[in-house]
Amino acid sequence: MKVGQFRMWAHRYSTLIILLVPLALIALIADLSGQVVLQRIVIVLFINLILVAALQIFMGNSGVVSFGHIGFMGIGAYASALLSMTPEAKAAALRSGYQVVEQVQAPFILALLGGGAVAALVAAVVGFPLMRLSGAGAVIATFALLVIVHVVLIHWSEVTNGPRVIFGIKQFTTLWIAAVCGLLTIVGAYWFKETSLGLKLRASREDEHAAASIGINIIIVRWVAFILSAFVTGVAGGLWSHFITIFSPVAFYLSQTFLIVSMLIIGGLGSVSGAVVGTVVVTAIFEILRSVENAISMSGLLSGTLAGLTELVLATAMIVILILRPAGITGGQELRWPGKRFNSEMQGEHD
Amino acid sequence: MNMVNDILQFLINALSLGGLYALMALGLALVYSILRLINFAYGELVMVGGYSLLVFGAGPLPWIIVALLSVLMAIVASLLLERVAFRPVRDASANTMLITSFAVSTLLQNGALLLVSPRTRAVRVPSFFIENVTVGGLLISKSNVLSLVVSLVTLAILTLFLRRTVLGSALRAAADDFVMTRLLGVRANQVIAAAFAISGFLAGLVALFWVGRTASVVPQIGLNPVLIAFVASVIGGMGSLAGAVAGGYLLGFLTVGLNTVLPQGLLDFRQAFLFGIVILLLLFRPQGLVSGMQSTERI
Amino acid sequence: MLAVEDVQVRYGAITALRGVSLHVEKDEIVALIGVNGAGKSTTLMTIAGVLKPAQGTITFEGQSIVGRSPEDIVRQGIVLVPEERRIFPGLTVEENLRLGAAIRSDRAGIRQDLEEMCERFPVLGERLGQPAGTLSGGEQQQLAIARGLMSRPALLMLDEPSLGLAPQLVDEIFQLVAQLHEAGVTILLVEQNVERTLEIVDRAYLLNTGEVEYQGAADELREHVDVESSYLGDST
Repeated sequence: MKVGQFRMWAHRYSTLIILLVPLALIALIADLSGQVVLQRIVIVLFINLILVAALQIFMGNSGVVSFGHIGFMGIGAYASALLSMTPEAKAAALRSGYQVVEQVQAPFILALLGGGAVAALVAAVVGFPLMRLSGAGAVIATFALLVIVHVVLIHWSEVTNGPRVIFGIKQFTTLWIAAVCGLLTIVGAYWFKETSLGLKLRASREDEHAAASIGINIIIVRWVAFILSAFVTGVAGGLWSHFITIFSPVAFYLSQTFLIVSMLIIGGLGSVSGAVVGTVVVTAIFEILRSVENAISMSGLLSGTLAGLTELVLATAMIVILILRPAGITGGQELRWPGKRFNSEMQGEHD
Repeated sequence: MNMVNDILQFLINALSLGGLYALMALGLALVYSILRLINFAYGELVMVGGYSLLVFGAGPLPWIIVALLSVLMAIVASLLLERVAFRPVRDASANTMLITSFAVSTLLQNGALLLVSPRTRAVRVPSFFIENVTVGGLLISKSNVLSLVVSLVTLAILTLFLRRTVLGSALRAAADDFVMTRLLGVRANQVIAAAFAISGFLAGLVALFWVGRTASVVPQIGLNPVLIAFVASVIGGMGSLAGAVAGGYLLGFLTVGLNTVLPQGLLDFRQAFLFGIVILLLLFRPQGLVSGMQSTERI
Repeated sequence: MLAVEDVQVRYGAITALRGVSLHVEKDEIVALIGVNGAGKSTTLMTIAGVLKPAQGTITFEGQSIVGRSPEDIVRQGIVLVPEERRIFPGLTVEENLRLGAAIRSDRAGIRQDLEEMCERFPVLGERLGQPAGTLSGGEQQQLAIARGLMSRPALLMLDEPSLGLAPQLVDEIFQLVAQLHEAGVTILLVEQNVERTLEIVDRAYLLNTGEVEYQGAADELREHVDVESSYLGDST
């Protein structure tokens, strides 16, 4: 009886332990090492982890593709920066800002939540009608959303300083703030999957008509998930802007979208484990490649730059994975206790 | 008199730009109609055409040969992508195919970045691309006239092909119901390869004029064409070939019109407006603005 | 001619066919009957190569056709006219018919067959240039069958040709199927209209929840069905 209970418990919670402990260790090692370069890499790893997990909340559970999420990251980044910057810094950075915007100043935590809230608000307004779409329509509409956000960020000089960089943001995001936010997001995403909302969403992913026929309002369910996911993405944008401190709208466009989407797909978009595995694996590939790129450039073996090598290899890796394992490294399953993952994957009904 | 000239000028500009847009949209819609694949890498086929112009144009070959070779390269690239990247994931979910095309697009762009140069490279274009002629007080650029004619001729030939040949009707049938087409013995690989070949051909053709406008090529050159193709094919109702062509022309008129009407401040947001329209269309008329054509498909 | 042995088909976790075996000989007309969800259409789709069996063998004229693509199976001589007709509404009647002959390259023969179809189905002959989507339901069914015949199949599989048609059109379709059989076409027919079907076929298989429950000559089956008619209502 006790063994059975333990297995039940392990079955339910082992995933979180398997995911959280190694990540916490990574943060700890980076902290203890004292190496700034490593710490910066780990901070970006955790921020990307939040972005990927946020995307998983919506895309993984609903099965609807979103190419628009990085737009919410941009909104969160700018909104939180504008909230936390001092009036003087704003006056210096924005040549023709609005009076109201310039005078507001909020503490970091509030700025972060504010950034998430603005992103969630935009998602709520534009999202509701969009949730009627799925398949190709959703792809193009969310892509269009990304383009629109990008155009607005580039041309709304009063709040973004246009295509130029914005500066004067204080660096609030530390290694442990990023790590704690990352770990909390994972717990949240895992919990969300099991809530009745998450369950309804997954039901609608499997069969829209069947889900509707048992009384699930697909549009509402997707909409709530979209808003939630945009909020988390916006917070991640705020964390990023208060880490990087100087940036321009280009940071929130196609290459970042490709990075985050590929992390989720390579890991497997069906599970939170997939989001974590994908982020860690892609970050590792990325950093190794970048050091190779640097080493080659420094040694002067080749004339010219090697710009693009990382993306090239990443894209190739992604195509190979899509061909060999269309459901990602984790196959869309959660990692579970004691090495029975492959077993349960084959039996299917255990999950 | 002046008024008439303005209108003529507008028509020529709009028809020539619209023709290019129509070719772009058709290339995207053709593959979509059969595979339900939104091919993000379509823009990179334009890029392949552009870099081919750069590479072959460096030699002593006459421009027309260079142009033909470039179009050929775009076709080859399109067929190659189908064989290497898309065929292995054809039976996977639509999302998998989509993400694959996204990855292929990134791959090719960064390949150009790495192998050629991240910077803008000047491409030799024949002098008539930058020449103008004056006809009855009307200043007309030769390249505009050329693209206008070439797009119309291309569309006419494609229409004949789709309507008068067995492969053409197989392509249209496959767009209707792919499984049923195979149940009649039409080979899936053949139909799909044909769609990709035509798609590559159209991208190559577009590349000639797209590169000709600026006489230069960059790795990101494919982005705008693919965005335009998205918009135009949504206006036309995704997957309808006639709709894509009509959507392309409509977009051409809209673009030239907005350029003349909108003040500079709002012009910056033109792309945002355009994509806003796209979202509204998807919501309220998912069958496209120029619908009603599906049942009596003209192309 | 066609031999299906112990074929199993699964959709994910659901087993749609649990070891179906059947055979069709040359010049025969054989029916698969049974209620909705019994696995009739699944059987035809599996023979046609659209679905892949998890287990079992399918041979046609001595050759295994399991794992072949649908287009290859058409070339072997098996044509499926699927449920709900699935004509190409945007294409003209003539284009639909010509696509039916996609595997053939004898232009003269195709032209001759096209004329023959126009004679056999005068409605189609009158509307060659019209989009097929403008035809009525009965006309579309005729077009679907004619399109199937254009490849000159050795075995014609018809999936519920009478479905959704008005009663007098149902009569016409059954007459047509009987005529085709007399003209020497081997036919495997799936129908829900059991009464009418047993009037025109040689043999029949009664499918129930993915298994062959009973098989025999048409008369034997009629007796069996009468006994068991509790669950085989007269569905038309």
